[in-house]
Amino acid sequence: MSERTELNHPVGRVLGTADATPLTFWVAVAADAYLQLDDVVVTGRELPDGTTVTIAGVVTAVRARHEGAQFDSDVFAIAEGTLPAQVQEAAEVTTTRVLPEVYVPPSPGAVVHRAEGEARDSALYFDRMQRKVPMGFGRDGAPVYLNADFLDGSRGAHVSISGISGVATKTSFATFLLYSVFRCGALGGAGESANSRALIFNVKGEDLLFLDHPNTRLDEDTIDAYNKLGLTAGPFPDVRVYAPPRAGDSSGTPDVSSRHAGVDSFYWTLAEFCENRLLPFVFADADDERQQYTMVVHAVTAHLARVAQPADSGVVIDGTRIGGYAELVDYLVNQLNDDATRGTWAGSAVGLGTVNAFARRLIGSKKDLARLIRGDLAVRRPHQINTAESAQVTVVDLHNLPDRAQRFVVGVTLKSEFERKEKAGTAKPLLFVVLDELNKYAPREGSSPIKEILLDIAERGRSLGVVLIGAQQTASEVERRIVSNSAIRVVGRLDPAEASRPEYGFLPPAQRQRALLAKPGTMFVGQPEIPVPLCVEFPFPSWATRPSEAGSPPNATLRSIVQASDPFVVVGASANGLEDDDIPF
Amino acid sequence: MRLHVDGWDPGYGTSFDGSGEGPASQSSAETVTDIELPESDWRPIPRRDDLRGPSTVLLVDGVRRIDAGVWVTGDDGVPHRGLAASYAAGVVRCDLERGVADVAGALVKRGLFTSSPTANDVLVGRVRYTAHQMGRDDQATLTGGVQAQLAALEADVSGAARVDNDLLVVDGPLKNRQHLPRAIGYVKTHRVEYLPASLTAVVTALKAQERTPVFHVGTNWQRYAWYLRLPTTSSAPWAGVVRIECAAELDKAEAVALADLSVVTLPRFASSSYKDPRAPQNLVPIAGLERRLRSMLGDGRLLYRTLVLAARTVIG
Repeated sequence: MSERTELNHPVGRVLGTADATPLTFWVAVAADAYLQLDDVVVTGRELPDGTTVTIAGVVTAVRARHEGAQFDSDVFAIAEGTLPAQVQEAAEVTTTRVLPEVYVPPSPGAVVHRAEGEARDSALYFDRMQRKVPMGFGRDGAPVYLNADFLDGSRGAHVSISGISGVATKTSFATFLLYSVFRCGALGGAGESANSRALIFNVKGEDLLFLDHPNTRLDEDTIDAYNKLGLTAGPFPDVRVYAPPRAGDSSGTPDVSSRHAGVDSFYWTLAEFCENRLLPFVFADADDERQQYTMVVHAVTAHLARVAQPADSGVVIDGTRIGGYAELVDYLVNQLNDDATRGTWAGSAVGLGTVNAFARRLIGSKKDLARLIRGDLAVRRPHQINTAESAQVTVVDLHNLPDRAQRFVVGVTLKSEFERKEKAGTAKPLLFVVLDELNKYAPREGSSPIKEILLDIAERGRSLGVVLIGAQQTASEVERRIVSNSAIRVVGRLDPAEASRPEYGFLPPAQRQRALLAKPGTMFVGQPEIPVPLCVEFPFPSWATRPSEAGSPPNATLRSIVQASDPFVVVGASANGLEDDDIPF
Repeated sequence: MRLHVDGWDPGYGTSFDGSGEGPASQSSAETVTDIELPESDWRPIPRRDDLRGPSTVLLVDGVRRIDAGVWVTGDDGVPHRGLAASYAAGVVRCDLERGVADVAGALVKRGLFTSSPTANDVLVGRVRYTAHQMGRDDQATLTGGVQAQLAALEADVSGAARVDNDLLVVDGPLKNRQHLPRAIGYVKTHRVEYLPASLTAVVTALKAQERTPVFHVGTNWQRYAWYLRLPTTSSAPWAGVVRIECAAELDKAEAVALADLSVVTLPRFASSSYKDPRAPQNLVPIAGLERRLRSMLGDGRLLYRTLVLAARTVIG
C-alpha cells in the first residue's frame, strides 16, 4: 500500500476540532501549503493489527479564519498589528475511496498529502477503469477520465447534461465527449471505433455544421492539452451533414446559409410517409396528446397505410394522384368532411367536433411540413437519414425548421434509427444520439410519440447499443425516467432556482453553489463509480464551431453530394484490388 | 512519595488576579516627586504631538492556572499541601508598520509546588510537573511560589525578539527586568497609593492620553513611575489610569523621554469595554496573548484527570 501511494507533498493535518468521519473530514492546511476546491488528497490510518487504511478524497470546501479573534471587529486590530492572531486555512475533504474497505475515521493529527500520480488515479478510481475516456482536466491540471463501461452500455449508458443556455457549453461538451470516445480507443479496436456512429441534431444556429472543418483558432496550448489527454487535436474526420430542403424550392436544395459544400438535403416521400405511418409525428406537440383527436390520428394513419399506393414520387389513393403534402392534407380533409367517406377514414364512433379538431391541426401543419414531405422529387434520389450508411457522425440540421417540423424530424429519425437497431439485434456498433432541448422532446408532463421513443431509448437503448446524450437547460423539466436512467450526469452553470431541485441531489452542497458560477468550459461530471462529481475543464474544440473559425473544408465535402461513393477512390483502389474485368463503379 | 488529588476547589482554573480600581491604602514607600516638575507645579502633561511612537512594540505577559490541589505524603507519612499549576509566558511583537502582530516567543511550564521535602517530578504521559519545594504549605506561600516562577519565566522571554528602536512593555512591575533596554512596566491595578493626597488630585484630573510628571519610588527596589490615563468612557476617578515604571538606573531625561513615548504608544492598544471586562487597561495585544497562552496551557479538565490517574499509579 505504502509504495503504491507515493506521497511527498504533505499539505496539512487532519484537524481535531471538528469531527472526522470516514466519509468527510476537515484538514488544517499547513502555513506553507494550500488546498483548493477539487484537489485530491490522501491520508492514512494505521489499525491496531498493523494494516494501513488509505483514505483518499476530494476537497469540497475550503475556509480561512483568524484564530485568536473573538469579535468581527478584531480583524481591524489584527490588520493594524495590535492583536496577535493567526490565519488558519482548513479544507473539507469528502472521501472518495477507502482502501482496504475498513470505514474508520482518519485520526486527527494524521498527515494529509496531495495525491499525485498513482495515488490520484487510485483516489478517483481511474486505476480500476479498464477503458478510460478522457473528459478534460481537473483543477490540478491532470487528466480526468470517464469509465467507458458506463457509457457504452456494459454497465450503464446515457449522458444527461444540464445547464443554462449560452454559458454552460452543453453542446460543446457533448461534441468533445464524442470526439474523445471515437478517438481514444476505449470502444475497442480500430474497427469498433470506426463503426460506431453518432447522430447529432443541430437545433441552434449552424454551430454544429462545421465539425469536419479544422478550427483556425487552434493554438499550441490547446494542441498540447489534447496530447496530454492522449488525443490528437483536429476536426471530426468523417461527418455528413443533412439539412432540410429550402422552403418553396422545387429542386430540394438544402437550406443552409454558411456551409456551402457537403450538405445533403433530407426529406420523406409521400409514399414513405404513408407506408411508415409517420402521421402521428405530425401531432407531436405536448398539448396534442391531451386532445380527443388522437383516436382520429391513429385511424387515419392506419387507413392511409392501407390504401396509399406509391406512384412515381407521389402516391395514389383511391385513384386520386397526390403530388405533395399540401395536396394530401386537402385530400384527407375533404374525405373527412364528406359524410360518405368519413366513416372509412376516422371510424364510426367519432364526433364531428373531434374530426374538425383533427382537420384544423392537420391544415395547420401544411406550412411547416410541406418542404419535408415531398411528392415532387426523384424517387431514386438519396434523401433518408440513415446513420448505418452515413458517415461516422451524422449532423441533422433543424435550426431553420419551425417547432412542429423539428419535432417531426426528431421523432421520425429516432424512430427509424431505433427500429433499425432493434432489427439488427446487436448492441455493437454503438449509436450515440446527441439531442439538445430534451425538455422539449421529453417533458415531464404529458406524453407524445417522441417522448415514447426517447423513453424506449433510455430504458432499452443500453442493450440495443443506442446511447442518448441529452442536453437540457433544466433537468427538472425532463421526464424523470430519462434522467434517472442516465449513468453519467453532467452539470454546467446552473440557474440558482434550478440548482436547488432534487434532480441535482448528486451534487454536494458546495458544488451546487459552485455550479451557479461555473465558467464556460467547466463541467461537473457525476459517474456511478465515483461518489463525488468531478470538476472538469475540457479543452477548446479543435473543430470549427462557427463559420468564422472554419478552416479549409475536407476534400470529401467537395465531391458530388448525391454520389454516395467517390469514383476516384474506387478507381485508385482498382490497381491492386479489382480484376481488369470488373466494373470500377 | 504518594500523591492525592483534592476534589474540586473554587481556586482551580482561576488566575488569582487582583481586582478593583483605585488604590486601597497609602504606601509607605519613599516617593520623590520633583523629578520632572517641582511638586508645586504638578499638572497633567498632554501627549506630545511631535513625537512618533516606535514601529515595533513588544508586550510581555504571563498566565497561570491551578490544575489541582494535591497532598504529597513522604515516607514519614506526613502529608504536605501542594499545588499543581501550569503557567506560561510569552511576548507579542506588534509590528505597526507592517500591520502584523505575532507571538514572538512563548514558554509553557508546569510545576508541583509543595513543602514536602521528598517531592519529586510528576511525569504523566508527556506532561511533566517539575517539583518546587516551598518553605511552608499555606495557600499564600504556594501561590506566591507559582507567581515567582511565572515572573522568572516572563523575565526569560522578555529578552527575545528585540530589535532597534522598539519598546518593551512588561505586564506588571518591572522588578528584576530593570536591566532590559527601552523597557517599561505596565501596572493595571493600584493596590497602594504612592503620591500624597494633594498630588493624587492631579492623577484623578488626568484626561485621556495625559500623564502625570515622572516621580521616583523607592520600596525594596527603586524605579521611576508616572500615571497615564487611557481613553475610556467611564468618568470614575481612577478609570483607565495605569502606572508605568521604568528603571531607576536611567537618568532623568531618559525617564521623561520614555514617559512621553508611553503616552503616544499605549493608548492605541487600549481595549474597549464591550470586548474586555478589564478595559481599557487590559491592552488588546495582551488580551490576545493571554488567550493564546491559555490555550497553550492545555485543557484544565484533561490535566486534572491525568493527575488523578497519575496519583493512583505513581510515582516517578
